[in-house]
Formats: sequence, structure tokens, C-alpha cells
Amino acid sequence: MNTLLLLLTAGASAEASQAAEAAKPDPAAIVMHHVTNQPFLGLDWLSHHLLFFVAAAALVLVAVRLAIRGYQAGVPRGLATPVEALVLFIRDEIAEKSIGHDGRKFTPLLCSFFFFILVAALLGLVPFPILRHGQWGALAVTSTGNIAVTAALAAISLVAQQYAGISRNGLWGHLKGLVPPGLPFWLLPVMILIEALGIFTKPFTLMVRLFANMLAGHMVITVLLLLIPMLAGVSTVMGIGIIPVSLVLGLFIMLLELLVAFVQAYIFTMLTAIFIGMYAHPAH
Amino acid sequence: MSPFALAHLSAGIGAGLTIIGAGYGIGRLAASAMEGIARQPNAGGDIRMSMIIAAGLIEGATFFALIVTMLLATMKG
Repeated sequence: MNTLLLLLTAGASAEASQAAEAAKPDPAAIVMHHVTNQPFLGLDWLSHHLLFFVAAAALVLVAVRLAIRGYQAGVPRGLATPVEALVLFIRDEIAEKSIGHDGRKFTPLLCSFFFFILVAALLGLVPFPILRHGQWGALAVTSTGNIAVTAALAAISLVAQQYAGISRNGLWGHLKGLVPPGLPFWLLPVMILIEALGIFTKPFTLMVRLFANMLAGHMVITVLLLLIPMLAGVSTVMGIGIIPVSLVLGLFIMLLELLVAFVQAYIFTMLTAIFIGMYAHPAH
Repeated sequence: MSPFALAHLSAGIGAGLTIIGAGYGIGRLAASAMEGIARQPNAGGDIRMSMIIAAGLIEGATFFALIVTMLLATMKG
């Protein structure tokens, strides 16, 4: 966002075209710069995604601790009320409905997925002020917009799915349950191959879906705001004229992202629960 | 036409085709879900949940294609 603000101020000034010429704005490069991982304040051991990853995790831990404190009076108050509503929703509507009665023991895992993805996505919508190279800018990063983070989440999901199958049916029962029973024997080689691939494609789609959603939302917001300096490079009047359009559209996408944050957290949790249920209770 | 220009052209066409497919899919899904809810308002909650999951699956497949177009559009010559 820093380069963007720099371009914004440069675009609004009288020497718009010269500044734009000097900065040589390549729209694709600027957008990619904003959505890919960058070193935080030039440090070589801390990057934007790592910082927001740790921040999201810490925020979830602190918020849940605070929520537990809300029970001291006997009735939930403060932060405990919304957290309890979400946890109950995950336990009753997601875990027990998709996995069955033994789904209760997966509730902590599903809650961790839900709250981490939700908080990480919501953090990405907050523009944190940052001072870099003597210029104020805004930093809005979501750590789930990094494919390594979503790959780690999906790997945990993969382990949970296989654990559910193996712990319930035994290793042999789990492997046998992968293939639907009553198949003609000549179909077996094909089905075994497909089901073995399916073990890995399920978490793979989880990984790509979350990553692409977060990346795409931030890209769209960046592109909409980038319209201002780009048109200001053409003429000052056009630059000023595009400001309200760009801001209103950007605000609309931000509201949409608020919805996407909840929906993606829900879908990741729900699909993990469904896959766990599939492996724990294969077709008989 | 340079390969670079071709990559940009195909990225634009690909993004358009992807959105046509996804829009059609999610449109069909929403239409059926609304019909279902109108016929049986009691089942509204369940239908809505299944609709969101199916929409998420369609969206996931769409994003595969969109990432390919994104890679094409940000290709360095």
C-alpha cells in the first residue's frame, strides 16, 4: 500500500505526468507487489505475511482467553457471547451434523480453523498505518493470501481426515473403506487410483480456494484504488473525477470481503468436517 | 504478435470464459435453491447451507482457472 499512497500523492500534484513518468508505474507489477509477501520495514527476518500470521494467531488466543474470563459471573458476558455462539454453531451445526456423534472431539480443531481463518481475513481489511522511508502508508495484509499458509492449514486438515479414518476403522479398514463396496473387480485398479488421488486433491482444493479468495479480494481493492494515480497520470481532472467512483467501489468490495471472510472460514471448516465424516464413516 | 502479447490476450479471454462458466453455474444453483425454499420454506436453512457449500466448490474450480489467467497476465516476457 505504501507505493500506492506515494503514487496517490504524486498523481494529485501538478507535475502528475512527470512524476508518473519518473515512477514508471507498471500496473501489474504494482498489484503483484501489494499482494505478494514483502519484507516488513526492510527487515530480513520479518515479512508482512509472517507478521500478520503471528498477529492473527495471537489475537485468536488472547480473544478466546478473554472470552473464557467472561464466564466468571456464571452467565457469559462481553466477548464470551459471540464466541460462544460461534463455537456452539461449529459444534452442533458443523461437527455433529457432518461427522456424527463422535464429531464432538473434532470441535477444537474445527474451531481453530474457523477462528484463525476468520481473524486473518478480517485483519487484512484493516489498513494499519506504517511509516517507511519517511512516508506514511497503509498496510492491509492477510496472511491467508499466502499459499504457504493455506498449504499448512490444508496439511493439518489432511492429517485430521486420515487420522479420523484410521483411528475409527483401523488401517486396513480405512484403506478398504476408500473404495465403495460391491464394485466389479476389473474396476478396482481404476477406483483405487482415483481414490488414492482423492486423498490429496481434497486438501489441495481447500488450499487453493482459500488462497485464491484472499488474493483475489486484495487484488480487486488494489486495482480499484490504483485507478486514481493511473488516471491522474493522464490528466488532473480525470484523476480527481475518479476519486469518488474508486472509493465507493472500493468500499463495496471491502464490504463484500467482510462477507467472504465469514463464508470462507465457514466453507473451510465445513468441508474439513465433511471430509473427516467421509473417512470416518465410509459407505458400507 | 509477440508471445507476451498473446499471453495477455489469452489471459483476458480466459478470465471472461471462466466468469461465464462460474456465473452460469452459481446462477443455476441459486435459482434451484430459491425454488426449493419457495416450495418448502421450512427447509430454508438446510438448503441455504448446502447452497453455500456447492457455491464454494464451484468457486474453487473457478479460482483454479483464474489463477492460470493471473499467471499469464503477470508473465514477464
